[in-house]
Amino acid sequence: MKKLLAATLGILSAVGGFVDIGDLVAAGQAGARFGMAHTWVLLLGVVAICAYAEMAGRIAAVTGRAVFDLVRERLGARMALLNLVASYLVTVITLAAELGGVALALQLVSGVPYLIWVPVAGAAVWLVLWRMRFPVMERVFGLAGLALVVFAVALFWLPTDWAELGRSAVRIDDGGQGWGAYWFVAVALFASTVSPYEVFFFSSGGVEERWSAADLADARFSVLVGFPVGGFLALSLIATATVVLRPAGLTVSDLGQVAHPVVLAFGGVGLAIAALAFFAVTFGAALETGLSAAYAAAQYFGWQWGKRVSPREAARFHTVLLVSVLLGVLLLLTTIDPVALTEYMLIISAVALPLTYLPILVVANDRTYLGDRVNGRWLNALGAVLLLVIVAAAIAAIPVAIGTRMGQ
Amino acid sequence: MRIQVSRQLLDRQLVDVDGRLVGKVDDVEFALDADGVPYLRTLLTGPGALGLRVGGRIGRMLVLTAERFVTDRPMVPLRIPYGLVDRVDSAVWLRIRAEQLPTSPVEEWLRRHLIGRIPGAGRAGG
Repeated sequence: MKKLLAATLGILSAVGGFVDIGDLVAAGQAGARFGMAHTWVLLLGVVAICAYAEMAGRIAAVTGRAVFDLVRERLGARMALLNLVASYLVTVITLAAELGGVALALQLVSGVPYLIWVPVAGAAVWLVLWRMRFPVMERVFGLAGLALVVFAVALFWLPTDWAELGRSAVRIDDGGQGWGAYWFVAVALFASTVSPYEVFFFSSGGVEERWSAADLADARFSVLVGFPVGGFLALSLIATATVVLRPAGLTVSDLGQVAHPVVLAFGGVGLAIAALAFFAVTFGAALETGLSAAYAAAQYFGWQWGKRVSPREAARFHTVLLVSVLLGVLLLLTTIDPVALTEYMLIISAVALPLTYLPILVVANDRTYLGDRVNGRWLNALGAVLLLVIVAAAIAAIPVAIGTRMGQ
Repeated sequence: MRIQVSRQLLDRQLVDVDGRLVGKVDDVEFALDADGVPYLRTLLTGPGALGLRVGGRIGRMLVLTAERFVTDRPMVPLRIPYGLVDRVDSAVWLRIRAEQLPTSPVEEWLRRHLIGRIPGAGRAGG
């Protein structure tokens, strides 16, 4: 049980990264349009985030430095500032989308329009960030997000043709939707799996939890359980959409449709569990993105940050937190569609990915930092190959987005 | 102690003797000793120094934003004599406590006018 609790940081990081509101809908869409044909992208993404989160976690445990410290050091003041501005924008807009997700989950349960829930969600997220202790926050939302497992359970309950599902997972096929759209979804899915804010949050969380070199095993366990669990949940969302929505020719445009397979399997109880899961993962993702935005800014400028000290002692950090949540709420109140917004954000964040992952790989090989805990040969080879994939996604992102008019 | 300024000092985290985060090494200042040999005299930290190093329009915007929070302009960076540095590893560790250094004016302003006024600001969440 203690072991499991050690993994909650990884679970929350992963859940916030790739089963958040954007993915609830994107995974549903991917399944409904392409079936399981993107499975390999998700698996590749999970391997990439595991490798890099392990490095970032190890650096945080051994040196107490989180990811944006490394970005600033290795890219220099100017390039790192560019990365900060890009990451901050992406993260805050994602935060807005997550607040929208919380509000949509509340709408699903209450029937009250989501716009009314938006300020409530913003206030609740800020209150948790202001008051709740970090380990409690991590456990409550990490574990509650696991309620999404109801989608995997539904797969067993429904008359799933497992052989066909398995075949479609290994067959790379554009499903009659065009290869442009296929690759657009692939880039977006990969970018969401390796969102930079996951490593900002994971490494900073390690510092908040006061990891030391003695906690390296826990950190690794957290990575190797947390992120694959997140990947499994995302995969089960795609699978239920493939099994239920695709044959019926349905497309996904809101949360209610994402929950449809679970409702089909378990009725009202299923809807309640799905709504709880949606609420937990979007709320957790809102916490993660809000904190990540503030962590990145504080670590770039060298401010005191974190929930260990009182807000008075980290006034600039808490100001950025407060302002980010407010910006998120204001953005939503313009009635912009938060989910469509995350689609654009995923593409922009794909362009900026190498600026975050290159410094991690460089520092993970720096003996002045890590002594003999630097990367081994195999991890370096894996890291280098994955970095190439990340660079390829970054280069392909904009042409694919324009060429397909955002995946049409 | 041999230190490569650009690789090991610039852009590193400044940490006080208790582990409090003081700022980044935004710039450094050299001086000449009696024999005319240059030595590292001061570490500079704060938006003033950072803005100059970032340079261009973005650097100026950075300084202007920070200057909104102070009364005496131009904003001077916090100067830390290099003698106060205890050791340099993944961070630059100082021999003194953060309270012995002047607080950043932006931090001070936000503490007094915004964060300090919210109930519960004095309690650490943990």
